[in-house]
Amino acid sequence: MVDTWQLVVFWALFAMMGVSALRVVTSSNVVHAALYLVVTLMGAAALYVLLLAEFVAWVQVLVYVGAIIVLMLFGLMLTRAPIGKGMFDNDQRLVAAVTAGALFGVTTWIIVDAFEGQKITLSKATGIRAESIGDVIFSSFVLPFEVISMLLLAALIGAVVIARRD
Amino acid sequence: MDFVAPKIALSGIAPEIALAATALLVLLADAFIGDRPRTLRPEHGSARPGSGILGNRWHLPLLSLIGFGAAVYLALDAWDRVDATGATTQFSGMIAVDGFSVFVKITLAVFGALTILLGHEYLVRRDLEEGEFFALVLFSVAGMMLMASSADLIVTFLALETFSIALYVLVGYQRSRLDGQEAAMKYFLLGAFSSTFFLLGIALVFGATGSTNLYGEGGITSFLATTPAADLSLLVLGAGLLIVGLGFKVAAVPFHMWTPDAYQGAPSPVTGFMAAGSKLAGFAALLRLLDVVLFPLRWDWRPLVIGIAVVTMIVGSILAVVQDDIKRMLAYSSIAHAGFVFTAVIATNDRGISGALFYLATYGLTIVGAFAIVAVLGGPEERRTRVNDFRGLFAAHPLLAGILTLLMLSLAGVPITSGFVAKLVVFGAAVEAGYTWVVVVGAIASAIAAFFYLRILVVMYMVDAEVAEEPKAVMGPLSIGVIGLSAAATLVLGLFWSPLIELAEKATFFAGP
Amino acid sequence: MTFAASTLPTDEATFAQLIFGAPLLGAVLLLFFGKRLGKLSGIIGSATVGIAFVFGVLSFMDLTSIATGHGENARVLTKSWFTWIEVGDFNVHMSLVIDQLSIVMVFVITGVGFLIHVYSIGYMSSEENYGRFFAYLNLFIAAMLLLVLGDNLLVMFIGWEGVGLCSYLLIGFWFEDRANATAAKKAFVVNRIGDFSFLLGIFLLAVSAGTLTFAGINESAVSGAIGGSMATVGALLLFGGAAGKSAQIPLYVWLPDAMAGPTPVSALIHAATMVTAGVYMVARTFPLFEAASFDVLLLVAWVGGATAVITAIVAAAEYDIKKILAYSTISQLGYMFLALGVGAYSIAIFHLVTHAFFKALMFLGSGSVMHALDGETDVRRMGGLRKVMPITGWTFMMGWLAICGIVPFSGFFSKDAILAGAWADGQYVLWGLGVATAALTAFYMSRLYLRVFEGGVVMPEGTHAHDAPPTMAAALIPLGILSLAAGALNFPGGLTFEHFLEPVLGEPEVAHGLTAWLLGGAATVVAVGGIAVAWALYLRAGGLQVRDRTERMLGPAVRAARNKLYVDRTYETLILQPGRDLAVFCTEVVDRKIIDGAVNGTGKLVAGSSELLRRLQTGYVRNYAAAFLVGVVVVFSILIVRVAA
Repeated sequence: MVDTWQLVVFWALFAMMGVSALRVVTSSNVVHAALYLVVTLMGAAALYVLLLAEFVAWVQVLVYVGAIIVLMLFGLMLTRAPIGKGMFDNDQRLVAAVTAGALFGVTTWIIVDAFEGQKITLSKATGIRAESIGDVIFSSFVLPFEVISMLLLAALIGAVVIARRD
Repeated sequence: MDFVAPKIALSGIAPEIALAATALLVLLADAFIGDRPRTLRPEHGSARPGSGILGNRWHLPLLSLIGFGAAVYLALDAWDRVDATGATTQFSGMIAVDGFSVFVKITLAVFGALTILLGHEYLVRRDLEEGEFFALVLFSVAGMMLMASSADLIVTFLALETFSIALYVLVGYQRSRLDGQEAAMKYFLLGAFSSTFFLLGIALVFGATGSTNLYGEGGITSFLATTPAADLSLLVLGAGLLIVGLGFKVAAVPFHMWTPDAYQGAPSPVTGFMAAGSKLAGFAALLRLLDVVLFPLRWDWRPLVIGIAVVTMIVGSILAVVQDDIKRMLAYSSIAHAGFVFTAVIATNDRGISGALFYLATYGLTIVGAFAIVAVLGGPEERRTRVNDFRGLFAAHPLLAGILTLLMLSLAGVPITSGFVAKLVVFGAAVEAGYTWVVVVGAIASAIAAFFYLRILVVMYMVDAEVAEEPKAVMGPLSIGVIGLSAAATLVLGLFWSPLIELAEKATFFAGP
Repeated sequence: MTFAASTLPTDEATFAQLIFGAPLLGAVLLLFFGKRLGKLSGIIGSATVGIAFVFGVLSFMDLTSIATGHGENARVLTKSWFTWIEVGDFNVHMSLVIDQLSIVMVFVITGVGFLIHVYSIGYMSSEENYGRFFAYLNLFIAAMLLLVLGDNLLVMFIGWEGVGLCSYLLIGFWFEDRANATAAKKAFVVNRIGDFSFLLGIFLLAVSAGTLTFAGINESAVSGAIGGSMATVGALLLFGGAAGKSAQIPLYVWLPDAMAGPTPVSALIHAATMVTAGVYMVARTFPLFEAASFDVLLLVAWVGGATAVITAIVAAAEYDIKKILAYSTISQLGYMFLALGVGAYSIAIFHLVTHAFFKALMFLGSGSVMHALDGETDVRRMGGLRKVMPITGWTFMMGWLAICGIVPFSGFFSKDAILAGAWADGQYVLWGLGVATAALTAFYMSRLYLRVFEGGVVMPEGTHAHDAPPTMAAALIPLGILSLAAGALNFPGGLTFEHFLEPVLGEPEVAHGLTAWLLGGAATVVAVGGIAVAWALYLRAGGLQVRDRTERMLGPAVRAARNKLYVDRTYETLILQPGRDLAVFCTEVVDRKIIDGAVNGTGKLVAGSSELLRRLQTGYVRNYAAAFLVGVVVVFSILIVRVAA
């Protein structure tokens, strides 16, 4: 039962992501492209939920959608990059297409090579839950966690230094 | 899964904690104590009388120095403990508390303190903000210290990022200088680039061994002890990428391209700090990783590291010869020095490790002094750093010229300086391990290197009509102190070096599984 | 068999550090206060060297009081400051040794050095950087003393590098002049090649002998602890260093150019002391040379002999008074190596001493001439000067007769002993080379002397020649007397120099009896012959026509000699032009960068390596990243090949 619904949702997400991904590269308005990217990334987050990887899904939303895309949009606005039709193109199309195609091919090939025909049954026990990650972060990985806070603080000060107006 | 509260023992990272805490205090003090230096705008070049150079902002550097003092004290405390009970790991095997890490931490604290002293005077003269500078130096030293004692690749990576981010900003700290901005940007981009390789390396190691931990249960060491050699290819590839990432930090060829630009663009106190500290931290991680953890794999990684060592020594020395800017020249010389330290890494014996520690400590003390001299001669925006700008230095400042002579001779590895002894020790270790030919290459590289050090000397002692502008040193008590200290260390360690080398030998023991 | 100083018992030296310390103190003093001291610097500089000489005498008295005899009774004095390097069994002490050999060198260095300092007071009096000049001179003396006093190779090497640096600074003393800077550079580069060989030799000996003391090395060479082939390589490397410093084939090209420096410098460094360091070094380590499985000594002898003849030929065609003396110095150094090579070590040192006297004298004399003639150096524009400047003329004559080897001047005895040594060693071809050199030497020195000091007075227009001022004369006269009388040191049946050096250098084998007389006679005959030819060509009425005829007859040979036998040019085309050779790389880089401090300029010769690498440093981050990526790919490839294997 669950399998069927899962499949339906999966295909729906597939369609949504495919279309928006295409629009990301075909849209001639850069802001539109960024927004389509949001849709694609949200779709990926939904896929993670579908695979019972809730933590990864939230990270996806927070980091990619929440931080990176917003940063991108800010960047576009602050730098007064050309926003509007026809301004968003260059002669690197072919290179980009080849690179993307190659990446796709390699990834697909590796995944097929590694998991061909394998069936992984999902359950609460095998999914990576936020709880177990929390356990690890505050037990064996407590030091890296603290170090990250120091790292972020240093980055913050650095940002202040760079951005400060004299 | 039940949550098991970790056993927290802070003694292992007490120096780092002290530094991070000091950094926070410095920021607070900067905000709330004393007036911002807006009110005092010293003209560059006019050392104001009395305590002038200390200004009314003396509490910030003092606080930072107390932080470094505390770090040294806590490290010594840790030393007493490991000396008595042997090396251990703490924080669920994330931190190694051993003689090696303690030695590196103390050395790093000394470099940091010297940077604070130099930086204070440098910043006050240029009317730059101090609080953030000191905080960033403190954070970066804390990161470097973590590098030395990290027993898990994740911690190593985070430590590396911590000190790198602080350094990126410090490089471009003087924002009126365009070349500084450019250098910071380049350093940052390439640093991020190299970090990705380091991360990929961690991923490969994890893929091969199922762990990122060096010593713990199921960690890399125990994995190597139980797995047949044939199954290790992925681990070797991962190790290769780790070498790439760390090679970037220590400026090994071909990952050295950022060095001349960053060294030239950075404020000289920062350059000295980078040359001394970042090299020491990078090599500390490399030594622990290669000579200890991956020791069983030495036949696999050694050809690669030998290649890097040889190319680094040769390319660094040759390129230094054609530089006209003294900071770029010293940058290439620092690349060559990284190559010399690599000869100790390939020795994979205790003498190599202690030799590398000795080398990095003495090199750091010398290079900090050299960049201090560049700082006092360079002018407000460090435009007078071409070799020809040093023409007639001897006539203008005989003592300074004498000290620079000493430092250059030490970098060139001339007897009765610490640089000579350091080369002798690392080369000796490599010979002992049977890599005489690498040492011969090293000797050739040092012979080439002698050219550019001597070139500076010759220019300094010239007095002629062509000097457009006499070199003019602008220095206060702090610069003089650091330069004098560096010169004294270079000479004393060149003559009576056994205490330090014995200490390094004594410190050469590592935590284990 | 001979014994090395090694096996001798030692006593504590009292004055060793003072000998070396006095000029060092002077150098430091003058370097910092030279400007303020003004004319006083010359007196202080000379005084410190004089004090060093006095300490040398005191040390000598110490040495002779304990070393009453030879063999069993011989002793040496040592002074050790501290242990410098200690790695396991291997240790190096910062220590000095005073034995018969080093004390002789101390006397030469401080004695001749003192006279040259005194001379410089007058010679350099109009120099702006007067104090600095004396500071460098003092520093040089200190370094040279360290070189000869050191009891191990490493201490010697410090001195070795020190004298090199001082020589470099002094050659380029008038660096405003481009030619001087270039000469300094040439000296620097060629010496680096030699020094590098020396350094490798030190390294090799440290590994194979486990010690760096001369005593230890010589002992292990004698006992066979250093294998024959290892000894061969070690000896060759040391000889490479010696050939660089002492300007032997193929590294002699720097010395003639080095004459660009002030004349007292040429006299002190490039005639009397520094250039003899190589001779001293080989003499110090002769057991190593003897232990070599390949006959390195024979090579030394041949290099010396060939250098002696070839540079004598070039000297015969030179017109620059200092260049003639420079080539003559190289040639005489060749004699010394010839003596070393045939096993007559103490004879080599003897010639070193006499040569120091007469060559320093002639350099100072030439300086006096240049001083009088406003810096003129071309012998064709001089003549009859003995009438104008009698002190210079008469003293120069002493030097001339000494180098020609005329009885009873000092040069006769030392040169004769070398030839006798070669003969006794059975090296008749080398003996022949020596005799040929003697004839050539007599010829070119007579050509120089007769042209400059005899005949009608010739001077460049507008100059008013005057004799040497008192300080300069004060140096010339003692040296003249020494050139005349120093032969007495080793006068058969008199004071024997060889015998004095025997504890360190062993007893040389020389010809005896009738052979000795015949050999001496032959040498005198060729010397007189050389002088006669020079007289016929340059002084006798109608000499000019004879000269023209001879030149036409010998056409190509004379041209070749005028062009320095094309050696410099050969180096130019063979080594310098292709620009791939290391030496060239250095030369060019140094040329453009080190001395001139020249700016960017695209390198023609460095293009091969350095420029290419530099071009990679474009300043574009993307290029840096690409290089990085290439590096990663290489790293990965190496490892993949590794794990696949």
